[in-house]
Amino acid sequence: MAGLEVRDVTVSYKKKVAIRKVSFDAKAGEIIGMIGADGAGKSSLMHAVAGVLRFEGEVSYGGRVYRSPKEAEALKTEFGLMPQGIGLVLYETLTVAEHLDFFAHIRSLRQDAAFRDYRQKLLHMAGLSDFADRQAGKLSGGMMQKLSLICTLLHRPKLLILDEPTTGVDPLSRLELWDILDSIRKEEGTIALVSTAYMQEAAKMDRILLFDEGEIIAMGTGETLIDSVREYTFEAGKCPEKSSSDTACFSFDKRSYSLDPLPSPHVEPTLEALFFVNALRKKRTLPRLEIEARESKTEIPETVMEARGLTKRFGDFTANDHIDMRLKGGEIVGLLGANGAGKTTFIKMLLGLYPIDEGGLTLLGKSIRSSDDRQALKAKIGYVSQHFALYKDMTVRENLIYFANMHRIPLSTAIKRINRYARELGFNDYMDHSPNELPLGINQRFSVAAALLHEPVVLFLDEPTSGVDTIARAQFWEMLHRLKASWGISILITTHYMSEAEYCDRVVLMRQGRKIADDTVEALYAGHPDAKNFEDIFLSYYRSET
Amino acid sequence: MNLSVVKAYMLKEFTELLRTKMIIMVYLLPSMILLLFGYGIRMEVTHARTLVIDNDQSHFSRMLTAKFEHSKYFDTTVTQMSEAEALHRIKQAKTDIIVIIPASFEKRLLHGQKSEIGVFVDGAFPNRGMTMENYVQGVVLNAAQSVAGSLGSHGGLISINSRNLFNQAMRDENAIVPGLIGLVLLVAPAILSALMIVKEKERGTIFNFYASPLSRSEFLAAKLIPAFLLHSLNIFILFLWATEVFDVPFRGSFSLYWFAAEIYILISLSIGMLISVITSRQIVAVVLTIIITIIPGFLYSGILMPISSMAGGSYIEAHLFPVMYFNHIVYDCFLAGKGLASAKTAEYLGILILYAVILLLLGTALLKKELK
Amino acid sequence: MNRVFWVVFGKEIFGFLRSAGLVAVVLYAFTADIYIAGKGIQIKPRNVKIGYVDDTGGGISRKILSHLHRPEFLKPRRFNSQKALSRAIFNKEILVGILFDQDFEKDFRQGRKAQLNLLLDATAASQSFTTLGYLQNIVMDFSKPNFPVVIKSHKLFNQNADNHTFMALTEMLSVTTLLIVILTAVVFVREKEEGTWDIMLLMPVDPKLIILAKSLSQVMIVMAGVILALGFVIFGAFNTPMNGSFWAFILLTFFYSFSSAGIGLFVAAVSKSTMQVAQLSIIIMMPLIFLSGAWTPIYAMHPILQFLSLFSPLRYYIEGSESIFFRGTAFVDLLPYFGGVLVLGVLLYWYGFRKIGKLF
Repeated sequence: MAGLEVRDVTVSYKKKVAIRKVSFDAKAGEIIGMIGADGAGKSSLMHAVAGVLRFEGEVSYGGRVYRSPKEAEALKTEFGLMPQGIGLVLYETLTVAEHLDFFAHIRSLRQDAAFRDYRQKLLHMAGLSDFADRQAGKLSGGMMQKLSLICTLLHRPKLLILDEPTTGVDPLSRLELWDILDSIRKEEGTIALVSTAYMQEAAKMDRILLFDEGEIIAMGTGETLIDSVREYTFEAGKCPEKSSSDTACFSFDKRSYSLDPLPSPHVEPTLEALFFVNALRKKRTLPRLEIEARESKTEIPETVMEARGLTKRFGDFTANDHIDMRLKGGEIVGLLGANGAGKTTFIKMLLGLYPIDEGGLTLLGKSIRSSDDRQALKAKIGYVSQHFALYKDMTVRENLIYFANMHRIPLSTAIKRINRYARELGFNDYMDHSPNELPLGINQRFSVAAALLHEPVVLFLDEPTSGVDTIARAQFWEMLHRLKASWGISILITTHYMSEAEYCDRVVLMRQGRKIADDTVEALYAGHPDAKNFEDIFLSYYRSET
Repeated sequence: MNLSVVKAYMLKEFTELLRTKMIIMVYLLPSMILLLFGYGIRMEVTHARTLVIDNDQSHFSRMLTAKFEHSKYFDTTVTQMSEAEALHRIKQAKTDIIVIIPASFEKRLLHGQKSEIGVFVDGAFPNRGMTMENYVQGVVLNAAQSVAGSLGSHGGLISINSRNLFNQAMRDENAIVPGLIGLVLLVAPAILSALMIVKEKERGTIFNFYASPLSRSEFLAAKLIPAFLLHSLNIFILFLWATEVFDVPFRGSFSLYWFAAEIYILISLSIGMLISVITSRQIVAVVLTIIITIIPGFLYSGILMPISSMAGGSYIEAHLFPVMYFNHIVYDCFLAGKGLASAKTAEYLGILILYAVILLLLGTALLKKELK
Repeated sequence: MNRVFWVVFGKEIFGFLRSAGLVAVVLYAFTADIYIAGKGIQIKPRNVKIGYVDDTGGGISRKILSHLHRPEFLKPRRFNSQKALSRAIFNKEILVGILFDQDFEKDFRQGRKAQLNLLLDATAASQSFTTLGYLQNIVMDFSKPNFPVVIKSHKLFNQNADNHTFMALTEMLSVTTLLIVILTAVVFVREKEEGTWDIMLLMPVDPKLIILAKSLSQVMIVMAGVILALGFVIFGAFNTPMNGSFWAFILLTFFYSFSSAGIGLFVAAVSKSTMQVAQLSIIIMMPLIFLSGAWTPIYAMHPILQFLSLFSPLRYYIEGSESIFFRGTAFVDLLPYFGGVLVLGVLLYWYGFRKIGKLF
């Protein structure tokens, strides 16, 4: 039987060791999930097993042993690797069909009738049959990931290594990806190693490896892992105020986590609990968030933003089709939708980064007709883009001072505010680092700080949590709620984590450039009594119209 | 090597080159360099703006003036302006040469006395200044000989009968354009091959190579063959520019030119490939390729300075660099036409082939099929 | 000027100083590169290899040959036959071959016209040509008693035809052009690449101020480079004379930098990546340099090109700089260059400014 054995694998780079003496096994047809914070060493291990990275130790596959990429060469016909990054292995200018031909050729596949059937089947499963002639660069993120996956599956690999195939992919595409994966491994007896940031996905895998700082700290089925943290998971409640700093507790997604018993009853944990419990055990607790009141008195208008029939076209393609939306003062609105549904386009149109093709927009009580109308409003708007865009040649502190200067905030006030945010948002230790040396979660926090420096009235956040680990996301939402409470700020936020929708006052759902739902979370649940979680609601909207 | 795999990979490369419009650079850059530099670099100076101040107005002085007026090298104006005024015009860069014929020019000559002709040349552009000075001396010498002849002077006169081998007319085009082909075919293919590999590294598509059973030689073949084929066409295009636009004669064997150029392109592609081994960003690869190829390609091309008159270090460097060998063959093909009959040409061709083989092997050996 | 302007300006200068690679490249370009260009290429004949065939038995031929000495010429090599001499030229062993035939000495002594045959490798046209000029002079010296005419020649501004100073100066002007275009373009395109462009647009700041501050910062970086190059290389290593006004040159450079920055703004407006900036800059700058008159005097160009060269700011800049350095031209006579650079500078900068301004 073709099994995989990984023995004492160590991967080290110049400065640090990415993976230290890791061992595990996998049987044919088994799906192994890999979870852990960014930089925990998942990717390094996957690259080593795929034979594209030098390592120490040995890997044996189907009885054949290899200790270096060179020795793995002979086995690569049976391997399939999909590295991390949306559309990373795709050639922007090649079409979908050309990709499949290319991958078939470089794998020297015989293109007989059976192959053509299989190819058709993959295309169909990925929902790409109608897009065979579209260039990869023009596909949405989810489509790119599905195309990457079927390209990796084309040669029927016996060992499939997928590194975060679903990050940045919408829930619907995520489900479709999993369907493809599941049927292939049943038919082919494929071993799959899959890393993911979505815990609901991890829960579906046969076995899960939890990574932390280059080691596997827990291993087992989803149930055994959940059992191990059950005693630390409690119903959401206020964390008790502690005098000593070495014990603490986290609250996220309707649950609280603590090593010491809490007064509230236990509840069923999810895999996310693993991260919190591990952080508590290793005493990696975060400083408590405290948002002080605004320094400047600001009038909060009743309606912060009102869009009436906003439309954006790119050539023949309508990215936003007559969208109406209202954002009230002190309201958090979640903007959800599949990849390519038009969320980013909509936000950019609100900000004036794209010209409005049709429709009317009122921002902070002012009707927007030209870019001059926006000039005065810029001081009241905060924006965090998808990529946490910050200047990489300046330290965190310098970046923040720069933004403060651009907003003409007096220097002494600016420095006071910056120090306060650094303390409250917990990036005080990173002030003199350059943004590209820092984990995504830290960058995200100080991007938000940069957007808050001028104490805006409204905040636009575009996928601020994609690729950010669980604990950082928990901290982030905590902060948004405190901002709303003490500043009365309005927030428009997009996300692919459906569980985050529940933190919003109201949710707007978009599909193919149109608004298909706009209601409070409670009302949406009421309208979908069968829904176990928000993902079900999302999917029901998407499925009902296709 | 599995040929159908290579073919499929090559097809992908061609498609990408076409759709990313990189193909425009492949053909625009070499022709642009050749045309601009071919027209742009002039060693000879024509139409130098010359002021002749004839203070004598005699038969002899007019004879001298006429010689200037009839030369294609000078645009002559005969005036009576003062020396100071003329010098001011040079300062304003309105004049390049001033020739001053003294007042008693003819009288002194007839009496066998020495006569002095004053020449001022704008030396701000030194080469141009030196060349103009030589021209003026040539014209005066020529005139003096006629004068001496008409005076029936005796005594030995040495005249120089120079034969310019290979380039009778001393045309700059003949001297420069073949050398430019050597420069262009070194720079352009190297940039292309470096980019084709580094692009995959920067984008991440290099994983498709790392993770597949594709061998290193197959990968390199798939990268280098398209670049090789595309640039092979440039061999003909550049040849046509040289012979049709610049009217450079072609006296040698076309097949020798073609063969040597193909080998030379292989060398250039290998240089690009070696650069792609050590770089991971496209912009760095381009800048590095330009620094590594353009400067030596220009210095050691023999366009600016014959290798033989280089001193010490640069003489050795020139011999280490392939340009010199290729240019020898190209100049031979265009201007001399001795071909392989000349032992040196055959030897240099051999050196080029050796070069190509070594660089290709080196590139294949250094290319790693794994992440850094 | 207001605070935001200086903040943006300072950030760009600071960012530049932070990126070690960029600083290294700029420093290299303004010092070592100019030094190498000035030092390395010498167009005056040097070490020219000469061969000769002497069938006269010596005498005049010896005397002539004795004039060919270092550093211009290596010791002439003797060949036995014209055939051997020709072969040596073909094989690039020698550049010039001199043939003294049997009658040469006899003719000269008897006062007849003596003919000296010269074979030149014309593939190295410039060197051959200057060598020919040298020989002409030598030969004329021999015949001098017979020619009552003396040419008193002055190469104004650069009597020794010192090529180092000229090459170094030309290289400095080219480097200035190249860097100002690329640096200005990259300052903007990097914001596009790193995704900070949108953030910049959302600042409550007049976009004109940002464009102006950003381009001025790069102009100042290049100006600093020019001063460095002047101090260390142009004046320091090569002792270039400065016949005109130093400040006139600095002012001319400043105006010129703005016209090039305008080109940079245009390149930035139409490029999405640093890669495109590199390609576009090459394509735009090559004709500019070609039309500047650095290689071919403008009056020797085709009339159409002469006309086109009127639109190359580099033309005015190079001519103006040469005039200031070598010709020592008075300020009044420099006005045409200032005028040309200023008019084109304003036009180009205005165009680039509008082009990139549309993206804001």
